[in-house]
Amino acid sequence: MVLTDSDIQSIWLTIKLASVVTVVLLVLGTPVAWWLARSRSPLKGILGAVVALPLVLPPSVLGFYLLLAMGPDGPIGNLTRSLGIGALPFTFWGLVIASVFYSLPFMVQPLQNAFESIGDRPLEVAATLGASPLDAFFTVVLPLARPGFLTAAILTFAHTVGEFGVVLMIGGNIPGVSRVASVQIYDHVEALEYSQAHRMAAVMLIFSFVVLLSLYAWRPGSLKMVRKG
Amino acid sequence: MQLSMAVHKSFDTFTISTDFSVTGDCVGVFGVSGSGKSTLVSMLAGLVKPDSGEIVLDGDYLFSSAKKINLRPEKRRIAMVFQQHGLFPHLNVRNNLLYGYKRCPAEFRTINFDTLVAVLKLDELLHRGANNLSGGEKQRVALGRAILANPRLLLMDEPLSALDDTLRFQIIPYLRSVSEQFGIPYLFISHSLVEMRLMTDTVLAFDKGTMIGQTTGEQLARIRMGQSQIGYINLLELDSMTERAGMCAYHWKGGELLLSAGNRDTISGLFELSSKDIMLFKKHPEAISARNLLHCTVAGLFESASKIGVELKCGDGMLVAEIVPEAVRELEIEKDCLVYAAIKASAFRRLAAGMSHK
Repeated sequence: MVLTDSDIQSIWLTIKLASVVTVVLLVLGTPVAWWLARSRSPLKGILGAVVALPLVLPPSVLGFYLLLAMGPDGPIGNLTRSLGIGALPFTFWGLVIASVFYSLPFMVQPLQNAFESIGDRPLEVAATLGASPLDAFFTVVLPLARPGFLTAAILTFAHTVGEFGVVLMIGGNIPGVSRVASVQIYDHVEALEYSQAHRMAAVMLIFSFVVLLSLYAWRPGSLKMVRKG
Repeated sequence: MQLSMAVHKSFDTFTISTDFSVTGDCVGVFGVSGSGKSTLVSMLAGLVKPDSGEIVLDGDYLFSSAKKINLRPEKRRIAMVFQQHGLFPHLNVRNNLLYGYKRCPAEFRTINFDTLVAVLKLDELLHRGANNLSGGEKQRVALGRAILANPRLLLMDEPLSALDDTLRFQIIPYLRSVSEQFGIPYLFISHSLVEMRLMTDTVLAFDKGTMIGQTTGEQLARIRMGQSQIGYINLLELDSMTERAGMCAYHWKGGELLLSAGNRDTISGLFELSSKDIMLFKKHPEAISARNLLHCTVAGLFESASKIGVELKCGDGMLVAEIVPEAVRELEIEKDCLVYAAIKASAFRRLAAGMSHK
């Protein structure tokens, strides 16, 4: 067997985490990106900076603050406790919340660029043809922004797969719960299991390459949409 | 259509402040670039909100700052054809056409899809993508889409300006069909006097964000003749072309006209002739190179920016020639006097084959 059960479990967990985060961010990131693309509010700069923060912050800093927020005395921790959900750190859903924050710019920035490139005219045309703003969004904006959605989803998925620092801070290293592929490789290296680390790293390398290759081949220049953090 | 607009809107470097009422189904809004005409129609469509004032269409308030009314664009039933066609690239022609139709309340759906497709000659385009159309086809589809939305008013914001001359005049009969065949009143925006004369009955002239006059396209063309480098443009419907001695002889209601051989492929059509290309003689001239010499009666004279426009009645046709006041004095040209008008065969320019004047 090339990969151990533990390796396969961590890869499965990674894919599950990346899928959930991508779906959550598609739902949450779309209105944020739309607002950033369309608003003339002075708050736009502040929200844009907040969204971009994970690109420049060390993952440990983000992880540290998220850990405090989700802790027993933190606002998120208080909320989850009052809702009877319990503490989020070192759980899969805690990992999802942390990853949502960490991958936010990878979803929002390509979407914002896609929305901005559509411009006002298609919306004005739709309005004069009787479409409400929501109708125009679903029948005109979404189809026109489809390349942006694909780019954003692929980048978010790939970025979540590659997470390490934030995962370690929030999720720890619990098999089947928070031990994702990157942490599994770290474990192998710590235990001097270099051949196992090699196999896992190769899987991750090939996966990442294929994802990026498909993105470049499909749409050259799409990675320009995101500044690498 | 009865429209009254009394609105004020300030931008950083530009202000629109206007107050007018107009009645008619083919109304033009004329002005040079930057005169505020596009902003005006955007306010009418609800795409730009005025700072104050009111807009009333056929007795219904679309906007009133005093009454705190601002109907959303999709509630106004005012469709728009833009300078750039604005077709949705993700939809084929059929679905572009049906976009507004599907959103129009059933009680207002009076225009039939098949009729529209036949009138605008779109049947062979229906399954094509919006990006696989020529410029003229795109504008026809955009027009059809706006008509099928069954609007109470159609705004056409310089719909011909992105097209070359040949296409421009091919599209005009389709634009006219909005009112003639579908009974939809329209507001036609342009900076072209020829388009105004071909498309409208009443013209609102705009300058620097305010309306400076309400007139007809014909009157406006005469008023502006002296300021224009190309003069007044006579629009002539010519037909029944026959070839004669290497030239094209056309029937015109004012007599026969000889045009250069380059028009051989046009049996009938609309031609333009500048007022500057007509030379007047008080006596019959001898041995001149101009191939057309018309014996006309002066029906009237008008002044425009130090030039004189001479209205010539030639048979059942009318022409306007442009001369300087000195020539009027020297030749003693006055109403009802007889003159000869010489026109070169090469002075005519074909606008569109098979097209007639409004």
